[in-house]
Amino acid sequence: MNQTKKKKLFKYDNVGILFVLPAFLYMLVFVGYPIVKNIILSLQDVTVRTLTADHKPFAGLQNYIDIFQDPVFVKSLVNTLLFTVCCLVLQFIIGFLLALFFNQHFSVSKPVRGLMLIPWMIPITVTALMFKFIFGTDVGILNYILTSLGIISENIDWLTSTNTALFGIICANVWIGIPFNMILISTGLTTIPKELYESASIDGAGKVQTFFKITLPLLRPTIESVLILGFIYTFKVFDLVYVMTGGGPVNSTHMLSTYSYKLSFEMFKYSKGSAVANVLLVILMIVGVFYLRATKEEEE
Amino acid sequence: MKLKKVVSVFMAAMLSVGLLAGCGGDAGKEDKKDTSESTASNETAGEDESQDAGEDESSEGSSGAEEVTIWYYWETEGHQKALDKVITDYNASQSDITVTAKYVPFADFKKQLSIGASADELPDIAILDSPDHASYATMGIFADLSGKFDVANYYEGAVDSCTIDGTLYGVPFGVNCLGLYYNQDLLEAAGCTVPANWEELKETASKLTKDNVTGLAFCSLQNEEGTFNFMPWVWSTGAGSYEMNSEGGVKALTLAKDLIDSGAMSKECINWTQGDVMNQFISGNVAMMINGPWQIPTMKQEAPDLNWKVALIPQDKEYASALGGENYAVIAGGNEEGALKFLEYATAKEQVEYLMDSFGYISADKTIAEGQFADDEAMKTFTEQLNYAKARGPLAEWPEVSDAISLAFNQVMTGEKEPKDAADAAQQVIDGIVTK
Repeated sequence: MNQTKKKKLFKYDNVGILFVLPAFLYMLVFVGYPIVKNIILSLQDVTVRTLTADHKPFAGLQNYIDIFQDPVFVKSLVNTLLFTVCCLVLQFIIGFLLALFFNQHFSVSKPVRGLMLIPWMIPITVTALMFKFIFGTDVGILNYILTSLGIISENIDWLTSTNTALFGIICANVWIGIPFNMILISTGLTTIPKELYESASIDGAGKVQTFFKITLPLLRPTIESVLILGFIYTFKVFDLVYVMTGGGPVNSTHMLSTYSYKLSFEMFKYSKGSAVANVLLVILMIVGVFYLRATKEEEE
Repeated sequence: MKLKKVVSVFMAAMLSVGLLAGCGGDAGKEDKKDTSESTASNETAGEDESQDAGEDESSEGSSGAEEVTIWYYWETEGHQKALDKVITDYNASQSDITVTAKYVPFADFKKQLSIGASADELPDIAILDSPDHASYATMGIFADLSGKFDVANYYEGAVDSCTIDGTLYGVPFGVNCLGLYYNQDLLEAAGCTVPANWEELKETASKLTKDNVTGLAFCSLQNEEGTFNFMPWVWSTGAGSYEMNSEGGVKALTLAKDLIDSGAMSKECINWTQGDVMNQFISGNVAMMINGPWQIPTMKQEAPDLNWKVALIPQDKEYASALGGENYAVIAGGNEEGALKFLEYATAKEQVEYLMDSFGYISADKTIAEGQFADDEAMKTFTEQLNYAKARGPLAEWPEVSDAISLAFNQVMTGEKEPKDAADAAQQVIDGIVTK
């Protein structure tokens, strides 16, 4: 019995399984296991007092109920969505415009486009500190410029006011995200055959018309990928917020990621922290499905 | 068809987690870089004798000595070297135990201990921040040290921080506390004297505030560091740690509000670490600050010409300060015996004196502390202030209490809430945690 099974396993048809096996095992151990473990953790009541206990009390969905009644969690969920949408819109539009601009092939377009990538390459903690200085109330350069230009008369406390702190973080993230959008769209633009534009201009189409009739439709797959990947990158923001405001002032800039970290590792409410992380996971999963569908359509 | 759907959902999960892990992976890598083990023998180059001894020892050590590992989070090179020297000397002094120390960044330290506790991968000794001691002791990862160390001569607050329900779960490494630093030149220029009580503090701070200089600064981050700097005000009114909506608690919050509203303190303090506060002080932007003695070596190095002095924190009803510092803890179930032997060595007078002097810390042992700084005015003031310093907690859920308190003073300082309302909200949270 055993023998025949073994023989069958090595039949040519099944060799494919062997090739997939390493990747599958890797995913199972390093991705599957943590997810399952985290879901179990979120269904238990694990705190300082029960972390090392053999039997951890089962809490059912209580942690999820609790976090949805927690104003800070709701605030961080709203913040995360608001942050993601604002960043995505701004960095996409600016990135797109820059891509079109650098697609004009003027004499220094290539080196300048290369330089534009710098924000993307700087470590995020460095960027965060830099923006923290820019947005400083008394010593920040932004207030200095605005005051010198006579736009404001009193210094604005950008990062220490609950109204403007999120705006500051969005600015920093847009600055980081622009090159990412620009470079992907630039690459997309080069795949559009020049002949199309040539024949369009012969037919008398204007700049605006060619943009909406040729550029946009042909860029659709690229745009979809850029937006969805951008969404995922932006949605799980952590280091930027952690360094710039740490979620403050008065919890006004907490994101799901930073709040989850705070619950788990600063306040030792491990189960609640993992429940927040799972909410983050579910939202990203939904976006992931869209991404796969988009790429599948493209392949077909 | 159905299978396809299942597969695609699974793929989506993998994808999103993969992307999530992308950032986690980087952090992990950094951890590894940062936590590179620094064995005692390779750090003390230059000290030829101990170097040789260390090497002899490690070659012998590999033949069957017991291992004792230590986790600590000090990032300052001087601190690391001092600890390494003590370890090297110890390894050279006997052949049964080889001690190794590992640096874990402060930001990761709590996380690593938590993860280690649930995965059973802990060192034998942890040197940790004293307010966290109760939490980890409650987890049950620390060994009972009652009766194994003589802590009778230690500062009460320091011993309190590692005692839960009468059981000793650690030994204080060294202590520090907060004091008031002032810029002598700015004070003289404004014709002010050193404030001794809150009224004088407000007045002096306002007088000192002009042009680009603000009168006072203390770290008010919405985390443990901020709470550490805020508690002295609360305790000075005679209120306890768990009495935020008492008269005293509200009074302390009102002080913070007054300082911010009058402009005598910059609102940016809610975004400044203690290090940032110190930088503002030495660059002359801040005339007075609340900070600890560990800043002194950096201040002397960065601003040797700055004319500063230290005084007790101005009082309301009584002098108060917050006790900081680290404790040694022995991990239960590890190499407890070896860890104890090393701690006996490390807490002996000679080693303590060496460590404290190179750390700029005050010994937790009063008898050593009193003779420690004969000719250092600033440190003498800190040693005096230490008599009024209280420990935070000790309570397993202190981080939650601390969060409520830091939220309260942040709400007040940003003008989100009035002191009374913020105090009431904090009290509600605290009452839910502290049943006593």
